[in-house]
Amino acid sequence: MAEFVKYIDVTKCDGCRACMVACKNWNDLPAEHTDFLGSVQSHTKTTADTWNVLQYIEHENSKGGLEYLFRHSSCFHCTDAACQKVCPESAISYTDFGSVVIDQDKCVGCGYCVQNCPFEVISLKEYKDKNGETYRKSHKCTMCTDRLEEGLQPACVTTCHTGAMEFGKKDEMIRKAEKRVSEIRGRFPNTMVYNPPGVGGTHTVYVLAERPSVYGLPENPKVPTSAVVWKDYAQPIGKMMLGATTMAVVAGFVSNKLFNKGGHGHGEEGGEDYE
Amino acid sequence: MTNHWNDLQHTDCALIIGANPAENHPISFRWLTKAKENGGKIVSVDPRFTRTSAQADVYAALRSGTDIPFIGGMINYAIQNNLIHKEYVVKYTNASFIVKEGYDFKDGLFSGYDQTKRAYDKTKWVIETTEDGKPVKDETLENPRSVFQLMKKHYSRYDVDTVTAVTGTPKDDYLKVCETFCSTGKVGKSGTIMYAMGTTQHTVGSQNVRIYAILQLLLGNIGLPGGGINAMRGESNVQGSTDFGLLFDNLTGYLAAPKATLPEHVTLKGYLEKETPKTGYWSNKPKFVVSLLKSWYGNNATADNEFGYQFLPKGNKNYSHINLFNAMYKGELEGAFMFGTNPVVGGPNAGKEKEALGNLKWMVAIDLWETETSAFWQTGAGSDPSKINTEVFLLPASASFEKEGSISNSSRWMQYRWKAIDSKGEARPDLDIIHELALKLKKLYANSPKSADKPFLFLDWNYGTGEVPDIDLVAKEINGYDLKTGKLLKTFGDLKDDGSTSSGNWIYSGFYPEEGKNLSKRRDNVDTGNANYLNWSFAWPANRRILYNRASADPSGQPWSKEKAVIWWDAAQKKWIGNDVPDFKAVTAPTEPGGTGAFMMNKDGVALLFAPTLNDGPFPEHYEPFESPVPNVFSSQQLNPATVIIEGDFNKKGGKAKYPIVGTTYRVSEHWQSGSMTRNQEWLSELAGHMFVEMSEEFAKERGIKNKDKIVVSSARGEIKAYAMVTKRFKPYNVNGKKVHQIGMPWHFGFKGFATGDTANRLTPHIGDANTMIPEFKAFLCDVRRAD
Repeated sequence: MAEFVKYIDVTKCDGCRACMVACKNWNDLPAEHTDFLGSVQSHTKTTADTWNVLQYIEHENSKGGLEYLFRHSSCFHCTDAACQKVCPESAISYTDFGSVVIDQDKCVGCGYCVQNCPFEVISLKEYKDKNGETYRKSHKCTMCTDRLEEGLQPACVTTCHTGAMEFGKKDEMIRKAEKRVSEIRGRFPNTMVYNPPGVGGTHTVYVLAERPSVYGLPENPKVPTSAVVWKDYAQPIGKMMLGATTMAVVAGFVSNKLFNKGGHGHGEEGGEDYE
Repeated sequence: MTNHWNDLQHTDCALIIGANPAENHPISFRWLTKAKENGGKIVSVDPRFTRTSAQADVYAALRSGTDIPFIGGMINYAIQNNLIHKEYVVKYTNASFIVKEGYDFKDGLFSGYDQTKRAYDKTKWVIETTEDGKPVKDETLENPRSVFQLMKKHYSRYDVDTVTAVTGTPKDDYLKVCETFCSTGKVGKSGTIMYAMGTTQHTVGSQNVRIYAILQLLLGNIGLPGGGINAMRGESNVQGSTDFGLLFDNLTGYLAAPKATLPEHVTLKGYLEKETPKTGYWSNKPKFVVSLLKSWYGNNATADNEFGYQFLPKGNKNYSHINLFNAMYKGELEGAFMFGTNPVVGGPNAGKEKEALGNLKWMVAIDLWETETSAFWQTGAGSDPSKINTEVFLLPASASFEKEGSISNSSRWMQYRWKAIDSKGEARPDLDIIHELALKLKKLYANSPKSADKPFLFLDWNYGTGEVPDIDLVAKEINGYDLKTGKLLKTFGDLKDDGSTSSGNWIYSGFYPEEGKNLSKRRDNVDTGNANYLNWSFAWPANRRILYNRASADPSGQPWSKEKAVIWWDAAQKKWIGNDVPDFKAVTAPTEPGGTGAFMMNKDGVALLFAPTLNDGPFPEHYEPFESPVPNVFSSQQLNPATVIIEGDFNKKGGKAKYPIVGTTYRVSEHWQSGSMTRNQEWLSELAGHMFVEMSEEFAKERGIKNKDKIVVSSARGEIKAYAMVTKRFKPYNVNGKKVHQIGMPWHFGFKGFATGDTANRLTPHIGDANTMIPEFKAFLCDVRRAD
């Protein structure tokens, strides 16, 4: 099966946010309380209940001219996905479409995927079971895999009225992106196709108007070495030795050693950032 | 719109002024994006850099309320640099007409001004005619009394330096706008002007639109694909509501409401003589009026009783929103119906409008939710319920997807919609509510001997006898019937003035030409040529998609250019053909009399550069807003001399000493109008949940305000709290060497719903345009301070 990608040309986006509403509508996600952020942006980043966020950026370009930039931000669906690598329960997997999905039945809410996502798009949500015990699950954009299976396109793509988003075969979309970049270079000298090789390429491919850092994106994101060590070495050995259930406990210890990002993450305390 | 949404893709340049379609009319950008892909340019002119500006090739800032200098300067630029489409101007406008002595213009005043009445005697603005009533012309345009020369002289005062000193636009940006847009004067090119409430909501609102029209006519841009004057309506059915007589001074189909103040209006004969021009398509007006009366009064309308003309109310006042609320404030109104309207958020000087509501004995609010207006008496509104005696009834209404009917969009397309889901609870469609109310009132008054009750009793109301009206009968009544045969009319061309036809709205006649064929239900999305989609829904009038399309062809009937062809004369078939329905008599050859009259609605078949019909002058002239921080550079007339001023407590005026900052209001994508629908939607409230005020970094620094601070904005009318949104997208203006700051804020918020916040309109004044009385929401004076 051919690989598919979501193509996003941010230079055609007018920031209407219909993609945000369409996502909530299809995925039945609740509204969140939002604070005033000092711009028209509603959320600082994606959350467990808001899987895509429209970024609004006021940027002064090298000539001193003002650019007002918009970007639909959501999961990149990496070809080499750190979240998939670090999940101790194998709850995260690749679909035939190229999308990366979380199996909610398998997820134990450990939060390693949250810590290791190079784009910070995954979040934990806290729930209470019928005994009043709290448990957590991690959430992110599914690329509307349930729609793809029915021959539909992702909800955000369907609703985009300027054609800033398309969903199609990877080769075609990359060619389209490259062509577009060559066309608009006069207007946006720093324009580029964002499809970072450090994560094996992504299934959300952007035409950016500016350098990735202007959008708060890593210039050259990589799957963390620790994640590779974990997935490819520690986890298989661990599972052989201890069995899967105990593995989560061990994982807690290992993660502290391997994945601690220096206190800025949303790690052990879990999801209260997003309530 | 003269053109339509899809047609925007054909433009070579879209000048977007007084509008922010990327945020407020996003669907336009589907088509503008295509225009850009085809090499079209976008020019955005706005007090602040918006998301529309972000998509534009050229952006220019202007201070709110200076559209006339901005466009007047472009007219001057186009004339001085010879960029106008001269043949178009000579043949299709009144540029060549000679203006009679008596017309004059001095220091901001046209001749005929009466200071005590604040009104003009328009008989001083007259075109010279020959003995047989034809206009005297000079097609060389050299005669100093020609419209063209008078106009050229008028706008020669609008030179680039003066203009930019008034508007505060950086000169380089201004020249870039002139150059980019005026390049569409070339044959083979077309430019469109897209506008919205940023244009109209001024004391010079009508003249703002007029000056856009003048520029477009000079560049030969009317009637062409990708051209035109395109008003983007702020709500999906605003076009429909004005078509159907929502405006206080109109009956349906843009026929004037009779007035007690005009002696001619005492009889139908007098009204028709006064309102009907001798030539042009409006000479058919008696047919439209009599057919309308027949549709309203049925068999009770006869030749003997002037077709029921005397049943129509003939008021002696101005019944605009501002005046109605002034009357309410003075305790002159007993009751009010509020159908889906929320003046406590959306009205000007909204604090005063809320107070005015307390003077009503009763109010009936028909809405989807309890709004700030139906809850005006609650403590949440800042009211003391024990002191308010108004009895308020709230009738729950159905939402658009809970009922059947049509909406008319900005493209003039009447599109039928079907009910998707049942209404919740007791909610009912507006039509059902009006229907039942009418039936019950008719029963209540059935035996009344009073003549004042007759108009209501004689009203023909035959939409079925049950509680639910037959909406199809309403649709057919709008289209109209041949009353002799009982058959539906095929076109408004068949309307008669002898009482033998009926039509509820002549401009829509033909949308339902035979039983079972409601054309507004058509959904054929095959492109019939040049994206006009003639078989999709129905566009009034007569399914024409581009108005004045005769002007897309030269006087001989051939397209000015292949690129911009719409209709052309086919000599073999002896008729006009093309990719649109001709907005012209289809069989009138270019060589016949009237064969070049591209603007056939008008008396002489031409468009009016000189328009002696408006209340405030035949040429648009700049006056400062009611509240302005600077004197008018162009004349000693500070404010539009023909606009009505309400003195006193109802309309307090602020001065620049206390309120030095220019304020304006606008909308965000997520909220609609007063927000009564959208602020009750959780997903939309989550995205735009807070009242904010946008201001420049420079201004914030001067006032010690940081981004996200809580601030207070005050005007002579009131004050509100909001969050500060400090942005690079607002910049101070250099107005005549002085720094002028402007701030802007959304007007959606109130105290009901999920997303709440203070109401911007508590700051805005009770003053309106000299022609329409649309309130001046878009430019007022205020001050800003930190809340702590």
